[in-house]
Amino acid sequence: MDDVELRLQLERVHADCFGWAMSCCGRNRDDAEEVLQTVYLSVLDGRARYDARSSFRTWLFGVIRRTAASERRRAWLRAALLSREARSVEPAAVSQPDQEFEREAGRDGLRYALTQLAERQREVLQLVFYHDLTVEEAAGVMRVSVGSARTHYARGKANLAEMLGDAKEL
Amino acid sequence: MMDENEIRQRFAQLREADRERAPSFAQIYGRGRARQRLRAMPGLRPFVLGAAAAVVIAAVWVAKTRSFSRSTTAPTIATIAAWRAPTDVLLRTPGSELLGTMPALGASVLDKMISTPSNRGT
Repeated sequence: MDDVELRLQLERVHADCFGWAMSCCGRNRDDAEEVLQTVYLSVLDGRARYDARSSFRTWLFGVIRRTAASERRRAWLRAALLSREARSVEPAAVSQPDQEFEREAGRDGLRYALTQLAERQREVLQLVFYHDLTVEEAAGVMRVSVGSARTHYARGKANLAEMLGDAKEL
Repeated sequence: MMDENEIRQRFAQLREADRERAPSFAQIYGRGRARQRLRAMPGLRPFVLGAAAAVVIAAVWVAKTRSFSRSTTAPTIATIAAWRAPTDVLLRTPGSELLGTMPALGASVLDKMISTPSNRGT
């Protein structure tokens, strides 16, 4: 696949990638954008190569997931290193407008319910219901066995249905 | 409990909301490239390194100057106190020793001025 074709493919799946990046970054828009920047650059610079063993979108979702995980680890390390200084400074009660919006809009809805699920359950549900992937494809993105993905899917769906049903009744 | 169709519907709503707020591919890619260029700007690196070196050199120089001036303060004061003007000799007028000594009763002021065997101590 040459550069032009790669770019076209990325443009085609961009909206989907943004949704998946949002999910991988705990629905933090800034983090999601940063992860996508890193991913697009690594794909177009040839650092991440598509080997055609799965669909382009499934492969790209895997790259996004791994990049988000490594960014999270880096952020955690940074936070751990700065924790001494943070202790001496008063905690700032500043929240980003997006997070504020998310909190308000999704308090009783799907966004809030998703945050309450275990990570694997959230991932598999997002991939199946939001991105219309099969459970097998979701397993490929998550790098788990199909059996494990099925278990996470079943448990996640039951938990989510219960939470949303409860919220609806209130 | 909610059924699967309702869950799908909720996810579809979330997807629509995300799509409306999603930045374009060009925006994301452009920002990424700009960030990459800024990180690896080859022309900027020597300037940054040069500026850092200049700051370090200036800091070392300032620290050395401060410690040097602190250690040389006392000798400087001693030197100033010991200094005598080269024209001091002009202030020594003939007979000035008469003004600097207490006159004694029964002695002549001329004894001091005229050198005699007795006051020479010979």
